[in-house]
Amino acid sequence: MNFSSDLSNSPEYQSFRATVPLKKLAVDTDASKTWKLYDAGPRQVTSPLVCLAPVSGTADIFYKQMLYLTARGIRVLSVESPIYWSVSDWCEGFRRLLDHLDIERVHLFGASLGGFLAQKFAESTAQYSRVASIILSNAFLETSIFNFNDTATLFWILPGPVLKKLVMGNIKSESVTELRVAQSMEFIIERLDTLSQQELASRLTLNCVNCQVDPFKLKNMPMTIIDVFDESALSMQARASLRSHYGHAKLAHLKTGGNFPYLSRSDDVNMHLLVHLRQFSSNSRYSAQKPAEQESQNDQPESNAKNELAEEMGVGDSTSAAEVATEAS
Amino acid sequence: MATRKKVLLKVIILGDSGVGKTSLMNQYVNKKFTNQYKATIGADFLTKEVMVDDRLVTMQIWDTAGQERFQSLGVAFYRGADCCVLVHDVTAPTSFKSLDSWRDEFLIQASPRDPDNFPFVLLGNKVDLENRAVPQKRAMQWAASKNNMPYFETSAKEGINVEQAFQTIAKNALAQETEVDIYNEFPDHITINPDSRNVRNDNCSC
Repeated sequence: MNFSSDLSNSPEYQSFRATVPLKKLAVDTDASKTWKLYDAGPRQVTSPLVCLAPVSGTADIFYKQMLYLTARGIRVLSVESPIYWSVSDWCEGFRRLLDHLDIERVHLFGASLGGFLAQKFAESTAQYSRVASIILSNAFLETSIFNFNDTATLFWILPGPVLKKLVMGNIKSESVTELRVAQSMEFIIERLDTLSQQELASRLTLNCVNCQVDPFKLKNMPMTIIDVFDESALSMQARASLRSHYGHAKLAHLKTGGNFPYLSRSDDVNMHLLVHLRQFSSNSRYSAQKPAEQESQNDQPESNAKNELAEEMGVGDSTSAAEVATEAS
Repeated sequence: MATRKKVLLKVIILGDSGVGKTSLMNQYVNKKFTNQYKATIGADFLTKEVMVDDRLVTMQIWDTAGQERFQSLGVAFYRGADCCVLVHDVTAPTSFKSLDSWRDEFLIQASPRDPDNFPFVLLGNKVDLENRAVPQKRAMQWAASKNNMPYFETSAKEGINVEQAFQTIAKNALAQETEVDIYNEFPDHITINPDSRNVRNDNCSC
């Protein structure tokens, strides 16, 4: 696939694609349903961080998090689901995927729809404590805020361009003054264009069919909510409602970032993810990070090399992105 | 425009380990104090909403591990800070001597636009203890020599001066934030169709 956006052409993204393979896994009885995923970092970690994308995103949109966190010994996956038409089917599929990968427990980082699904999955597996913790970014508690509950059942027959317009309606903002926010939008829109009508329709259906999270079931779940203080697609009320229902959550506010802070403000988001994950580092059963003492002995040379590369890229991160930007302009 | 915007103030607390950074933050945010010392691992933060000059602002207060010096989190930790709080223990002269290096460290890492006028606040903590070793006068002189940074003598344990100190921190941070804004958002975007903003709903998330 040929992408032309600034971020797609950044050395950082190119290196990510060159070093981390995109895997496809069928875990349902229907073999045509394949999960796409990137899995990076130390494999012996059985409670990794799993990133869940928004409606418009593909699994690669979390490349900046994967590079930064794997360089710090954290195992990170970013997954993209096949076509599911209900939240319960999605949760069931995701559970099978984790079983298949021998992952006991996950820390979930969910953006927007991904954040909603993260909460639903945690809710549905609450008895088995399959979810160790949750980080939410621009997420919501109930789909009714989108005012599409009634029409959502018809999404499956709507043509692709109409669906795209539904999504774009909100991300195309006239008021973007910041280069990094603009670049993140450009990158996401590029990804949106790669989705088929069925993929998009199913995700929008999950996003909009009447459904809500019962926050009470997650009242003991360690949680960080990453919120931007500038404009994003979610209204201030929706964001405030999420925060007020999770009174115990840590509030990792960012000054700016728009709809996709993990791309536009990756430095800050990465730092908050690391701070969040560190609280588990002393308990190996819950830690997403490989214990430090094992690092030198058990590591395979191959993954070592990858980590080093990621480290390099991670450090050069913002400067290289900025350079690309100046060249482009 | 500036009055409508939601404001986030990032505050970083620096100082030697054991001077009471975590305790000060906990006393201010949670009104709690514990005598048990537990070294901070890495970094942690708390948020608090406060009123400053009739404006509701959110403070994100970062507590740092005194011994770690924060290299592991990278520059994102320091970047975007609106105020830096330097803390020493009035019963520990070495912690007072370290203040210069903490201040330098911050200025190098955060590289604020106008380092000479970046707001710092100095706190001399543990004034409730008997064995005081850093005289108030000396601390005041040091603060005065650093562009007149405000100095407060605090006790996280007794809650002495903590509220007042953080009020000043918030106020100075807000002044800094607004100043940065003038640079960043000089040509404020023009809304061609102002009505559409008010009726905006959450459509589909993206």
